[in-house]
Amino acid sequence: MSRLVRLADRRAVVAGDGFTLVRESGAPLPDGDVIIPAADWIARGEALGGRSGRTGVWLGPAEDPAILKDRLAGLALVAVEFPKFTDGRGYSIGALLRRRYGWTGELRAIGEVLRDQLFYLARAGFDAFALAPGRDAEAAARAFEDFSIAYQDASDGRTPALADRAAAAREAKIVRTRKLLARIAAAHPDAAFASSLSAEDMVLTDLIARAGLPIRVFTLDTGRLHAETLGMIGEARARYGIEIEVMRPVAAEVEAHVAAHGAHAFYESLELRKACCFIRKVEPLNRALAGRSAWLTGQRRDQAVTRGALPEEETDTARGMAKFNPLADWSWEDVLAYAARFEVPLNPLHARGYPSIGCEPCTRAIRPGEDPRAGRWWWEQADKKECGLHEQPSAQSLESAA
Amino acid sequence: MYRYDAVDKLIVEERVDQFRDQTRRFLAGELSEDEFKPLRLQNGLYVQRHAPMLRVAIPYGMLSSDQLRVLARIARDYDRGYGHFTTRQNIQYNWIDLAQAPDILALLATVEMHAIQTSGNCIRNTTTDHLAGVAADERIDPRPYCELMRQWSTFNPEFAYLPRKFKVAFNGAAEDRAATGVHDLAFELRHDAAGEVVMDVSAGGGQGRTPRIGPVIKRDLPWREMLTYTEAVLRAYNRWGRRDNLYKARIKILVEAIGPERFAADVEAEWAHLKGGIAQISEDEFARIAACFAPPAYLPDDEAYADLAALRLAHRRFDAWLRRNVVAHKRPGYAAVTLSLKRTGPAPGDATDAEMDAAADLADRFSLGELRVSHHQNLILSDVARKDLFALWQAAEEAGLAEPNVGLVTDIIACPGGDFCALANARAIPIATAIQERFSPARQEEIGELAIKISGCINSCGHHHVGHIGVLGVDKNGEEWYQILVGGRSDSKVALGTILGRSIKFEDVPGMVERLVGVYLAHRTPGERFIDTAERIGVAPFKAAAYPEKAVAA
Repeated sequence: MSRLVRLADRRAVVAGDGFTLVRESGAPLPDGDVIIPAADWIARGEALGGRSGRTGVWLGPAEDPAILKDRLAGLALVAVEFPKFTDGRGYSIGALLRRRYGWTGELRAIGEVLRDQLFYLARAGFDAFALAPGRDAEAAARAFEDFSIAYQDASDGRTPALADRAAAAREAKIVRTRKLLARIAAAHPDAAFASSLSAEDMVLTDLIARAGLPIRVFTLDTGRLHAETLGMIGEARARYGIEIEVMRPVAAEVEAHVAAHGAHAFYESLELRKACCFIRKVEPLNRALAGRSAWLTGQRRDQAVTRGALPEEETDTARGMAKFNPLADWSWEDVLAYAARFEVPLNPLHARGYPSIGCEPCTRAIRPGEDPRAGRWWWEQADKKECGLHEQPSAQSLESAA
Repeated sequence: MYRYDAVDKLIVEERVDQFRDQTRRFLAGELSEDEFKPLRLQNGLYVQRHAPMLRVAIPYGMLSSDQLRVLARIARDYDRGYGHFTTRQNIQYNWIDLAQAPDILALLATVEMHAIQTSGNCIRNTTTDHLAGVAADERIDPRPYCELMRQWSTFNPEFAYLPRKFKVAFNGAAEDRAATGVHDLAFELRHDAAGEVVMDVSAGGGQGRTPRIGPVIKRDLPWREMLTYTEAVLRAYNRWGRRDNLYKARIKILVEAIGPERFAADVEAEWAHLKGGIAQISEDEFARIAACFAPPAYLPDDEAYADLAALRLAHRRFDAWLRRNVVAHKRPGYAAVTLSLKRTGPAPGDATDAEMDAAADLADRFSLGELRVSHHQNLILSDVARKDLFALWQAAEEAGLAEPNVGLVTDIIACPGGDFCALANARAIPIATAIQERFSPARQEEIGELAIKISGCINSCGHHHVGHIGVLGVDKNGEEWYQILVGGRSDSKVALGTILGRSIKFEDVPGMVERLVGVYLAHRTPGERFIDTAERIGVAPFKAAAYPEKAVAA
């Protein structure tokens, strides 16, 4: 019994095959399942009715698949021969059988069928592949994963990018992000992801957890977060079964700041607001990152004017480490679409008008049409609205982190 | 220019991964030479005389300065310090180490470039007018259509193993600067009576051993059906094109064998099933791509304009450069400028890494950071404000890129020829140099427009069939000989040249060109170019002058 690569629901399996290929027209048929020349089926199909085995047909590359147009009923499979792997006629035959003549059963490539043609064959509508003798079927089956998306329409049921760019772009972003995360994990086994528990960061957590990557996830509990936000820590642990480390500010520093400036100093001046951010967020972050070679964030370019040129990969020169923003080119719609598709738990505040969520006293809901960051430090200028996590900290602040 | 989104990036990145694995398997002996060959070809790697050549796609000739700097870096870090711009608006490197090819492709991907389908029996890089989007005589900017064709043809699964290579070209201007007449498939864009974009499609043109001008097989094709119609043409070719004889496998042979009318009817029958289907171009997708080619922020014409008359009088070479290398732009305050890669000495179309870097700097300073590659193997700065022309000229002179010879006898098109190519019968580059050395700047000016095109073999990469004077290298008992043709042209009045007679030796070629030029100068009427005279007087006087000893004997 020869071996066959089969493709079902885009999953490849290697299976045995019991069909006997009958090459010669008019040759006596063996018992069992056979693949006979298509012309023979046309000429004497009815006469085969009494056989016990199933019947498939094969077409040569010069044959016109139109001969099977009204004769497909009752066939177990249609095979197309590739006398040489460089002979591309069979791709058109496959496309015609699938799309012109409506063949939905097994479409098998036979002849010189090699691994590096499988991807194109599958797109041309083939779903069974009788590899040339001596080929490693398991290795070959990986070829179907060569490309995740395609530009043009073919016969594999995919929606092509040319027909729905938005969907293809969304898929491409997911695949590229997965690849980037795998690359980061391989190059930086000590990489850590600073999650704010926002929708972006839950999506990134989902991507990391699904791939089982050894990227440590931590969050910064500033002591002033919404209850809803804190609730996401438990949600994420329950959903993904991964540890989410919680970093907290140094209590004495917080107390000293409140004693000196009051509990709501952040409304008074940019300096005092930044001082608060430093104690509650930046310093704990520095502590979490100390000694590591890379960190990740969920920042996106279109979140804020301050992030318009955000790269996917940069060097955090002050901390002396690599910094990755894997969602840099994702839109808010991309984030929501991913969350819906993969059932990612989201902070309920998002649905209540909070696209960007920080500490409770410094975040408000936005009105329709407002900038997504309008609810952060809303009393400040748009170009100042960063907490300092993504700025290069001064030498002094680095020392205090150490 | 077109910028990649996540879709384009992912496709190119996954291609690099795929080819890296294929190369690894080949080097590990898991893939045979024969099995690897089409895979490497479709990634631009072509084994030449000395080393693998890598041909990098420059889609329809558009380059950013950052991309050109990466091309320079590849020349510097992976090759011998230069690259060769080709007659299909691509660039190729002659000394590539196969094991490094995946790294080069990965580097290209970082600047949204690739070498996909630049060789092999597949749909090749789409080409067009190097003045697309800026030409004063343009009806329709062809670049969005070229980009749609690029995407549709990239990894099209049905058409990756065609009988032979397949080249597509577009023209949207009054003057055809893309040699569309000699392409496997060509689209002429124009507006119909209702103002809609329609296309006249021709198929079966090509050069090579059987040069043909492609007949029109379809008129008034609605633009949204461009890809459905192309699919019908390619399916016909894929199924019925000859596969038994390499030399008869191009689509032109099929079209000629069954006749253009029958071919057109067969395509029409196939197209009936496809038109209006999923491959019809959507307004949204067209708009997304066309937005990439929106006009840049030009200065108002009066601010961009400058009166250069005094400078022209003071600097004769600037004046010559303005006349030869600078052409009109859609915007009166702007011009398109050719940086000539036809200096006497280096091979036509060659550029060193330093020259590429210099050209990229010039693009940043004077042309909004973009360049074009022409099929004439020159670089073009497409958006230069006229007030900057003198400063650009000075900087280009300094970089050695201001040879004022565009369209003149030294602006020669030549393939790499026998110096590099394993297919060549004869060298092409030294012939180009010998002709260039023969004509002084003053003499070139006196002669005016004259397109000399040189191919080292019948595959015609040097476009000799459509040169005003064509030179074709042939092999005679292991020796290099050359056939001479006269009367070819690649513009809107595309025509194939006529072979004058027996082939001649290497050292006789410059003298032959000199005699042919002499015929022209003796016969020309005021304002007449070489090709005009040749068409008016016919080939006979050129034949007579070409072989004087024969004339004496007669």
